[in-house]
Amino acid sequence: MRIIIFGCGIVGRSLLELLKVRKKELNISYGLAPKILGVVDSKGFAINTEGLNIDEILRIKDLGRSVGEMENYGKKGAFELEILENIEFDLLIDMTPTNIVNGEPALSLIKRAFSLKLNVITTNKGPLALAMPLLLELAKHNNVSFRFSGTVGGGTPLLDFAKKCLMGDKILAIRGILNGTTNYILTEMEKGKEFSEALREAQVKGFAEADPSLDIDGIDSASKLVILANWILGKKITLKDVKVQGIRDIRVKDLEDAKKKGKTIKLIASVNGEAKVEAETIPKDSNLAVSGSLNAVSFISQYAGEETIIGRGAGGKETASSVIRDMIEIRGLMG
Amino acid sequence: MKFGGSSLADGSKISHVADLIKSYSKNSIVVVVSAMGEVTDRLLEASEKAERGDQEYVKKFSVYIREIHLAACKNSIRNKDLLEETSKRIEALCDELYRVLTGVSLLKELTPKSKDYILSFGERLSSIILGGALRDRGLKVKVLTGGEAGIVTDSNFGEANPLTEATFYQVKERIEALISEGIIPVITGYIAEDQYGKITTLGRGGSDLTATLIAASLKSNEVWIWTDVEGLMVADPKIIPEAKVLPKISYEEATEMVMFGAKGMHPRALEPAMVHKIPILIKNTFNPEAKGTLICDETSINKDKPVKMVALIKDVGMISLIGGSMVGARGTAAQAFTTLAKQGINIMMISQSVSESDISIVIKRDSLSKAVNALELSMLGKGIVRDISYENDVYVLAIVGAGIKYIPGVAARVLNALAKEKINVYMISAGSSSNSLSVVIKEKDGYLAVKKVYEEFNLGDI
Ligand SMILES: NC(=O)c1ccc[n+]([C@@H]2O[C@H](COP(=O)([O-])OP(=O)(O)OC[C@H]3O[C@@H](n4cnc5c(N)ncnc54)[C@H](OP(=O)(O)O)[C@@H]3O)[C@@H](O)[C@H]2O)c1
Repeated sequence: MRIIIFGCGIVGRSLLELLKVRKKELNISYGLAPKILGVVDSKGFAINTEGLNIDEILRIKDLGRSVGEMENYGKKGAFELEILENIEFDLLIDMTPTNIVNGEPALSLIKRAFSLKLNVITTNKGPLALAMPLLLELAKHNNVSFRFSGTVGGGTPLLDFAKKCLMGDKILAIRGILNGTTNYILTEMEKGKEFSEALREAQVKGFAEADPSLDIDGIDSASKLVILANWILGKKITLKDVKVQGIRDIRVKDLEDAKKKGKTIKLIASVNGEAKVEAETIPKDSNLAVSGSLNAVSFISQYAGEETIIGRGAGGKETASSVIRDMIEIRGLMG
Repeated sequence: MKFGGSSLADGSKISHVADLIKSYSKNSIVVVVSAMGEVTDRLLEASEKAERGDQEYVKKFSVYIREIHLAACKNSIRNKDLLEETSKRIEALCDELYRVLTGVSLLKELTPKSKDYILSFGERLSSIILGGALRDRGLKVKVLTGGEAGIVTDSNFGEANPLTEATFYQVKERIEALISEGIIPVITGYIAEDQYGKITTLGRGGSDLTATLIAASLKSNEVWIWTDVEGLMVADPKIIPEAKVLPKISYEEATEMVMFGAKGMHPRALEPAMVHKIPILIKNTFNPEAKGTLICDETSINKDKPVKMVALIKDVGMISLIGGSMVGARGTAAQAFTTLAKQGINIMMISQSVSESDISIVIKRDSLSKAVNALELSMLGKGIVRDISYENDVYVLAIVGAGIKYIPGVAARVLNALAKEKINVYMISAGSSSNSLSVVIKEKDGYLAVKKVYEEFNLGDI
C-alpha cells in the first residue's frame, strides 16, 4: 500500500514507530506492506515514489527539523495540492493539527484526495466536526474509503464497536464522557482541588494542551459527538448544531454537594434527538461515573439496551494504533 | 428570489426587476437568475450548428448575442461608468463565447462538457447585467456563478445531480458571509460545477433547483419564484374563463400538478424545499401586487376541500393489451414496460383489471405508433397477448388534491358527474401517493368533463 502522510508530530511519529516495529507482523498477519511515498510537515515535504526510509524521517524529526531538509528527496516550503495529481498512491493519512475554525489545511486536503479517488485516514477532528456530512458524501460519491477511528476514543475502538458490534440493532441515543482532560479535572476537584490547580496538574501530566480551552469549554467533546452522531446515528449535523457548555463554572462546592447525595458531576456529551455537551449531575454508581482521564460512552440501543465502553482515551501511541486498524481495514477493502 | 427568463427578456424588464428587488431590499435577499428570454435555447441551437461546422451561423449568432445583451445593459443601467464597466464585461464574455463556438465549429465536435460550458454563458451574461442594474440603484451586490456560490454536482454533464451535503456546506460558508455584510448575491441559476471545477448544468428544474438548493443551504424563510404567470391555476382559463389562482397548495400537490403539465416547478426543484420545509411563493413579475401561489407543507393545508385542481392532458394516447391467456401469466406487464423503456418511451399511467385480462397504458401521443409497433413485435403471436389496440383521440382528465386520500368518495363523485353527461370513462387510476386521480376520456368530452368536475367540487369557490 502506497501512502503519503500529512503531519509528523506526536501521532505521525508514533505511527511511523509502530510501522517500523510491527513491520513483519503486519505483513504476515494482514498482508499490510506500507510504503511511505511522501511526508509533509509545516515547513516542507519529502517525496520518493520508491518509498522513503522511515528511520530517516524519524531521525530528522527527532532533531526538531523539517522533513523538507531530508537528503535527496526533501523540499522546503509549502506543499501545493496539485502535487498529489502527479503521484500514484493509495492512501493519504492526515495527522495535521486540529483547526476548529475552518478545518484547514485538512479540509481542502481531504476533499482533493477524494476527488483523486484516494482513500483517506484522518486523526484530525477539525474537518469532521465542521463538515462531516460533506466529507461522507464526497467519499461515497468518489467510491473511496474514509476512516477516522483515532478521532474518538483514541485507542479504544468506540466507532467500530458501535458500527459493527451493534450491527442489526438500532442505536437510539449516545451519552458519554469524551474528553480525558475535563474528566481528570473534575475528578481532582472532587478530591478538593481548585479548578486552576487541577488544570495545571493535567497540563503537567501531559493530558491537556498548552491552550486547554477547547477541552474545558466542551468543544473537543462536541466535536467527537458530531462524529459519533454522523457515523453511528446517521445524523447530518455539524459543530454548529451542538449546544455546548464547558466546566469553567463548576466549583468544588458543587461537587461536594453532589457527593453528599451520592452523586457526581461529569461533562457529558449526548445525542438523543438534540445534541449537547453539558455538566450533568449523575449517580456515583452509574456506568459513566468513571474517574481520572478515562473516557466512557454508553450506546442505548433498541434491543441490546445500554452498552458502555470504557477506555483510556487519546494519546499518541493509542491514536497511531487506531490508524493501523484503519489501514488494515482499508487494505482488506482494496482486495 | 429567482427570476425566470421571461422576467429578464430585455433591458426594460431587467430595469423593472432591479426596481422590484430594491423595493424588497430591507430583507436579506439572494437573487438567482435565468438566462435572458430564450437565450438558452438559442445557445443550444448555436452549439448544434457549430458542431455541424456552420461558421457563418456562429458569426451571425455571436453578433446577435452581443447586441441583445449590450442593448439590455444600455436600457437598464443609467450611470455612465457603470454602464461602461458592465458592457466591457459583457463584451469579454461574448468574445470568449465566440472563441468557444468557433473552436467547436472547427473541430466539428461537441462534447457534453463543452456544451454545458456554452450553455453557461446565458446565465453568466444575464447575471452581470442584473448585477449592474442593481448597483445602478445603489445596492451592494456580488455576482457569482452557481459553482462560485458553492453548488457542487457530479460530473454528469447535461443533467448533473447536486451533491447536496457538499453544496449545503459550501453555500453556507460563502453566501452567509456576503449577506451579513449587506451584500445581495446575484447567482447564475442552472449552472454549477463538479468537484474538479468544471462547469456543469443542472438539467430539468434548472434555475428553480438552484434557488431551492441555496434556500435549503441558508435555511431561508421563503423562496420566491418570479415568473410571467400569477401562480398555479385551479383550471385552464381557456376552458374555465373564471378560473382562479390557487392561493396555497402542498408540495405533493404541486408535484402532481406539474407532472400533469401545469406550468410550475419541476419536482426535482421542489425537493430541497420540501425536505427542509421551506415555503415557495410563485409570483408574477409584472403584477407583483397579486398574491401568487404558496407551495408549502401539507400540515398547513386545508383538508376539507378534497380537490384543488382539474387539468386536461391533451397530448396522450392509450394502448390496450388484450388477451384471455394473460390471466396469471406472470411478467406480461413487466415485459410490456421493458419493451417501452427500451424505446425510451415514458409510461404516464397504467391500469390492469383484476381479472388480469387487460392492461392499459397511457403514453405521450407522439410516441404512440412507435410504442404500438414495438409492443406488437415483442408480444404478439407469443400466445399471451391476443390483441393490441390503441386510441389516439383521448385525453387524460387529472384531478389533484391532498384531500383525495383523506376524504372518501372523490372517485365516485367524479364518475357520477361524468356519467350524468354520458361521458365514457376508459381508464381510471389513482396517483401512487393518492394526491391525484386520473381518468381517460374521449377528446370530444374533454372540455365538458373539466367543467363538470369544476362544478362538482366548487372549484370556483376559493
Ligand atoms: N496527540 C494525541 O494524543 C491525539 C489523539 C487523537 C487525535 N489527535 C489529533 O491528531 C492530529 C495530530 O496530533 P499531534 O498530537 O500529532 O499534533 P502535533 O504534534 O502538533 O503534530 C502536528 C503535525 O502536523 C504538521 N503540520 C502543521 N501544519 C501543517 C500543514 N499546513 N501541512 C502539513 N503539515 C502540517 C506539523 O508540522 P511540524 O512538525 O513542522 O510542526 C506536525 O508535524 C491532531 O489533529 C490531533 O487533534 C491527537
